[in-house]
Amino acid sequence: MPLKSLQSSFLKGTFYLSGNEASAEGAIAAGCRFYAGYPITPSSELMERMAFRLREVGGVFIQMEDEIASICAVIGASWAGAKAMTATSGPGFSLMQEAIGYAAFTETPCVIVDVQRAGPCTGQATRVGSGDMMQVKWGSHGDYQIIAFSPWSSQEMYDFTIKAFNLSEKYRVPAFVMADEAVGHLRETVRIPEKIEIWNRKKQKGIPPFGTEEADGVPPMPSFGEGERLLVTGSTHDALGYRKTDDPEVHSKLVQRINLKILNHRKEIVETEEYFLEDAEVAILSYGFTARSSLYAVKGLRKEGRRVGMMRLKTIWPFPDEKVSELGKKVRKILVPEMNLGQVAGEVKKYVTCEVISFNQTNGEIIRPEKIKEELRKIL
Amino acid sequence: MTQTQQIRVSGFGGQGVVLAGLLLGQAGAIDGKYVSGSNSYGAQARGSGCKSEIVLSESPVDFPHLIGVDILIAMSQGAYDLYHGEVREDSGLILYDQDLVVPKESLKVKQIGIPATHLAIKRLKNKQVANIVFLGALIEMTRIVSPKALQKAISMHVTERFRPLNLKAFKLGIDVGREIHG
Amino acid sequence: MVRALEKYIRPGIKTTPFCPGCGHGILMGLILRAIDELQMDMKKMLFVSGIGCAAWIPSPHYNGDTLHTLHGRALAFATGAKLFNPELCVMVISGDGDLSSIGGNHLIHAARRNLDLKVICANNMIYGMTGGQVASTTPKGTKTSTTDEGNPYPPFDLCRLVKAAGATYVARYSVTQPVALVRAIKRILLREGFSFIEVLSPCPTQYGRRNRLDRPEDLIRDLIRRCVTEEEAEGMTDEELAEKIITGEFLA
Repeated sequence: MPLKSLQSSFLKGTFYLSGNEASAEGAIAAGCRFYAGYPITPSSELMERMAFRLREVGGVFIQMEDEIASICAVIGASWAGAKAMTATSGPGFSLMQEAIGYAAFTETPCVIVDVQRAGPCTGQATRVGSGDMMQVKWGSHGDYQIIAFSPWSSQEMYDFTIKAFNLSEKYRVPAFVMADEAVGHLRETVRIPEKIEIWNRKKQKGIPPFGTEEADGVPPMPSFGEGERLLVTGSTHDALGYRKTDDPEVHSKLVQRINLKILNHRKEIVETEEYFLEDAEVAILSYGFTARSSLYAVKGLRKEGRRVGMMRLKTIWPFPDEKVSELGKKVRKILVPEMNLGQVAGEVKKYVTCEVISFNQTNGEIIRPEKIKEELRKIL
Repeated sequence: MTQTQQIRVSGFGGQGVVLAGLLLGQAGAIDGKYVSGSNSYGAQARGSGCKSEIVLSESPVDFPHLIGVDILIAMSQGAYDLYHGEVREDSGLILYDQDLVVPKESLKVKQIGIPATHLAIKRLKNKQVANIVFLGALIEMTRIVSPKALQKAISMHVTERFRPLNLKAFKLGIDVGREIHG
Repeated sequence: MVRALEKYIRPGIKTTPFCPGCGHGILMGLILRAIDELQMDMKKMLFVSGIGCAAWIPSPHYNGDTLHTLHGRALAFATGAKLFNPELCVMVISGDGDLSSIGGNHLIHAARRNLDLKVICANNMIYGMTGGQVASTTPKGTKTSTTDEGNPYPPFDLCRLVKAAGATYVARYSVTQPVALVRAIKRILLREGFSFIEVLSPCPTQYGRRNRLDRPEDLIRDLIRRCVTEEEAEGMTDEELAEKIITGEFLA
C-alpha cells in the first residue's frame, strides 16, 4: 500500500502488508499515539511506518538515542495519557529489561513488539530465532507478570497488537507481541474489519492509583496534568504512591497484587487454538512462525491417516497452563518444535505428565514442515 | 489454474527481484486471493543472489513459504543454476532472461526465454525495468493475477517519478508474452 | 522552610530525608521559592527525577505530579511526557551521577533536541546515597570510598558539556548563592528550550568527612570561598583559579 494514500487513522478492507507494517497499523487502530524507538534489524520497518502514520494521525513519534531511552520515553508518555509503544529485537530488548520492570511495578500500560532474531548477543541480525520467549517473562529482576502474544501471520501481527494494547490498558501491565523475523518480514493479505473493539484505561478522580481493596485488583490510572498530583515511583509504594522502602507488609502486598491481577485473570487473557485433537495420540504444541510449519506437517500426516493433532499457543504469558495440562491428559506424547533450545518445552513439562519431546533448531532458519513431519514420524 | 501457485522470482541484487515479488503479491491481494510473500533480506538482497517468493491461493495459506516451485523467473545464470531443479516437473514453468541465461535442455519443465533486459534497454533505455517486462510476460501467459491488478500495484508501490516507465515496461512485457503465447 | 512555601509540599510530609548539613534541603526550598514568586500552577507541573539523594528533592515532597524513575533515565521519561503533553511544565531534578554518568547519553541528546525541559542538576560531586564513591564530577585528587588515594581522573565540566551539546540556557550556582540561584530558576521556568542549571550542593556525610571538611559549615565556607563570577575570574592568575569554581549564567 502506498504510504502517501493512507489518511484515515483506521483503515478498512484488505491489504498486503508485512508483519511489521501490520503491527504498526494495528497500533494506530488501537489508538496508539506515541512511539519512541531505536533502529534495529529486523524490526525497523515497524518504526518507519509509525513515523509516517503518527504524523498523519496527529500522534507523536521520536527516534531516541537508544533502546533504554525509548522504553523510558514510552512509560513517560503513558503517564502523560498516551497509548504508547516501542518495537525492538534481541539486543534492544535486553537493554529495555530494567524499564520493563519499572512499567510492571508502576503498573504502566505500554506495548512492546519484539521481532526476534537469532541470538544470543548480536548473533545473526537478519535471521530468525525465538530465543526471547523466556526473557520476556523473566528478563527484569524481581517477581512480576506481563502479557505476551505469539503471532504466526501478518494478520495476527495486526490483531495481536490491538489485543496487546487492550489488555495492557485493562490490566495496567506491559504487553508484548513476540514476533519473529519470519513473521515480521512475511508479507500477507491482512483483512481489517469494519469495527474493532478498543479498551481504554479506567480513570477515576480521587481514587488511589496504586492499590485496591481486592488482592488482585487493577486501580484506576489518572494522567499527569489532571490535577491528581500523582506520585509515581519505581520504589515500593503504598496505594497513594508514597515510598515505603522498609515496610514488609506494603512490599509483599504490592508484589502479590501485580502478580495476582494477571494470574487470577488467566482465563480471560489466555488464548489457544486446537487442530485435529479429538482423536489424536500425539500432539504438536507450537507457536509463532513455527506453528505454520507444524500445521502443514500435521495436515499432511492426517491425510496419511495418522492420529496427530496440534495445539497452538496464541498467548505465551501468562502461560496457558490449564489448556496444556488438559492436552497432556489427552495424548501420549507432545512434540514442541522451537527456534530455541527448548524454552517453551521446559514450561510445558511443568504442567503435563505425558512425554514431552523438544525439537530444536537454532541455525537462523525457519523449521520447515518436512523436518517436523520427520520428527513426528519418529514418535508416532 | 490450480488452487495454489508458488512463484519464485530470482536474480542479482539490484535487478528488482524484491519489487517484482511485491508487485505480484500485491496484485494477487487486489484480485482477492490469499497471498503470502517473503524475500531475501538485508545484505542478501543487495548482493549476488536474491529471491522473492509468492504463494497465491484461493484459500488461507497454511505454510507461507514455498514447498515446491510452480513458476520460476530467473533473471541471472546464478539464480537459474541454483533454483531450476526445484521447479515441479511437467506442470512447472521457467521464464529466463534469454540474453543472460543459458538454460539446460534436458529439463522436463516448460522453459521460455524472455528478452527482458534487452528490450528494457532497447525500447525503454533503462535496464532497471527488466523485472517489470518479466511480470508483463508472465501475466499475459498465465493470468496468475489480472493485468489491471498489477497496474494498480505499480501505482501503489512505485514512486511517481518512475511510474510511467514501469507501466510502459509492463505493457511491453504483455506484448512479449502475447507474441510468445500466440 | 518558611511557612509560605508549605502549600507546595505534599500534605502529611513533615521532614526531608536529607542528612544534616546536606545542601539539597536548601535547593529544595529555593526551587519552591522561584515557583512561588512566579505563582506557578503546581497542577500543571511535572517533576521528574532519577535515583539518588537529589532525586528525592521533588519526590514525594513537591505537591505536583512527580515521576521518580530509574537511575539515569529521568530525561528519557521526561521527554516522553513532555512530547505527548506539551502543556505540562516539566522540570527534571536529579543528581550529578544520575544525570551525567549513568544518564550521560540522555543528557547530551536531550540538550541536542532542545526540548522544553527545565533541568536542575544537584551536584555534590560524589555518589552520596550509595556510600561516597567517586563520580564523573569528583575533582581530581579527591578522596572517596573507591579512590582512597585520591581520584586520578579529572571531572566533567557539566555546563560546558551541556552547552556544547546544544542546550539553550546554561548556568551554574551554588546553594550558597540563593538570590542568584532563585533568579536563574525563575528564568528557566519562564523560557522555552532545554535549560540546565548545575547547582553545587555540599555533602558533608560522604564528601566532607573524607576530605578534611568535617563539619557542614566547613563545606559551606569552602563553597563561599571558591565560587566566583566570570568577571571575578578574569583578573585571577592560573594558580588562584585552580581552586575556584566559576559560577553564573554561561548561556542565557
